[in-house]
Amino acid sequence: MLMKTAITVLALAFALLTNVVTLAQDGEEPRAPYFQSRAFNVPILAGWDDQSGESFAQFHLAEAQATIRTTTRAERDPIAAAEAELAMLTSLRAPPPSYSGKVNLADGTWHVLVYDLEEETTASVMARVAADRVAVISFIERDPAARTAVLTLARSDGSHEVASREMIFAADTLAATAPSDLLQEESVTLPSGEWAVYAGEGMTVMGLVFGNDSYVALQQGEQGDLAALADAYNRTLLGFFITPDNRHYLALALAVVFVILGALVGSLFWRERGLRKDLTVLEELARAEE
Amino acid sequence: MADKAKSLPGELRIEGPPQPRALRLLTVVTVLGFAATLVLGLGLAGVDIQQGEIQRIFYIHMPSFFGAFTAFGLTVAGGLLYLARKSEKWDRIALAGVEVGLAFSLINLLTGAIWARPIWNTWWTWDPRLTSAAIMCLTYAAYLMLRAGIEDAGRRRAFMSVYGILAFVTVLITLFIIRIVPETIHPMIVGASPQKAQGSFEATSGVVIALIPSLLLWLTLMPITIIWHRVRLEERMEALHRLKMQALSE
Repeated sequence: MLMKTAITVLALAFALLTNVVTLAQDGEEPRAPYFQSRAFNVPILAGWDDQSGESFAQFHLAEAQATIRTTTRAERDPIAAAEAELAMLTSLRAPPPSYSGKVNLADGTWHVLVYDLEEETTASVMARVAADRVAVISFIERDPAARTAVLTLARSDGSHEVASREMIFAADTLAATAPSDLLQEESVTLPSGEWAVYAGEGMTVMGLVFGNDSYVALQQGEQGDLAALADAYNRTLLGFFITPDNRHYLALALAVVFVILGALVGSLFWRERGLRKDLTVLEELARAEE
Repeated sequence: MADKAKSLPGELRIEGPPQPRALRLLTVVTVLGFAATLVLGLGLAGVDIQQGEIQRIFYIHMPSFFGAFTAFGLTVAGGLLYLARKSEKWDRIALAGVEVGLAFSLINLLTGAIWARPIWNTWWTWDPRLTSAAIMCLTYAAYLMLRAGIEDAGRRRAFMSVYGILAFVTVLITLFIIRIVPETIHPMIVGASPQKAQGSFEATSGVVIALIPSLLLWLTLMPITIIWHRVRLEERMEALHRLKMQALSE
């Protein structure tokens, strides 16, 4: 009878599993390609030249002379890590930052830094402590005709759906431009979201609201690919994540599985042993009576 | 042991027929299959880049529920057939199904809690799926306690058959609740996850390759093999009980 039951269950299981496989294959959609490493993961930027190595993700857009690079560094201090990263990338010693602040994102507190390294090189860096290292995302623009910076700012007023206050703050801080010099243009929709656009003489500012923060990109001089740059940096920052190290939880879960299965199978042996002992006692009693 | 049994009064034997070749074969295949699924899930399947290594417990967590489903399903079948035919062998299958199903349910519940700690940042939350799984475990634990508390064998078998059939409602509720109640954070791997699901991952071909053998093993071989062993043990335990009663009466 058990054999018949087993065959029936196997047949049902086969039918169920065939259905599961079909569903799983139907549900498989193409995913955004990711640069993956043990230390971190970031989206691969389509249309950008991929110059990534084993321990860093680096993408370069030749027409904008812009590079977005993500890595982790051994320095314990985020600002020191950011400046060491820039020194390594540009061979330039970082001057005091044009802007320095902090912002709390979902994965932790990031330091936000903007440096004017030399006449044609501007660097925007975000850095945060990640376990025993510091994660650094750098945006470096070397176009002599333009100056481009990207900033992440905590929203000063959560009721506004447009990052107008943060855009004006960025223009004032980085370009010393009075708010009255900026005019609001139509918004632009990019893969990262709908960005507001403010324009002034020789300057464009773009802003995106996401959660409690605003993402601002500012470009001075010859107007070029600000939308593409802002979008790429934003997707890198929001797509950045570190694979958690939770091997000890897996070990604990496996220990629980083995303990329960061991107890189940062990109880069969234990009861079998008890049964044999009882039988021996009964046998001895029977002999004694004889 | 057979010799010992022969020397006992009344020529009673507690040793059942020798272990069938099919059971021995099934045991070997099950042990090897379990080892193979561990290699697939813990070694060959890739690391989920968002959840990390803990995602691998999914290759045991979900199949163990389906193993419990099979075991509790056999309890229902055993209960129905006992009520229809009054043969003790069906009651033994029902009892074995509860013991094995409860162990598998505990594996499901505890591995889920351990997964939740790093992914949901809590060991436990009163989510509909988790709550119904806990109620299911308690219902079947109560089966074993109630069974031990009923003296009369005939009444015990009849009552527990009905209990085992009705208790299966908790299994069905646990299985379908995340498709009925949208207010759940428990992810679904096959089909679209609920809107509030936390810690979802896709059933990619890599996941499916590690999952299917494990699901097949836990759904069929593991419950059937252990239940079969448990049924044989129960037969011998009942025979020993009869022997004890006989010895006491003499």
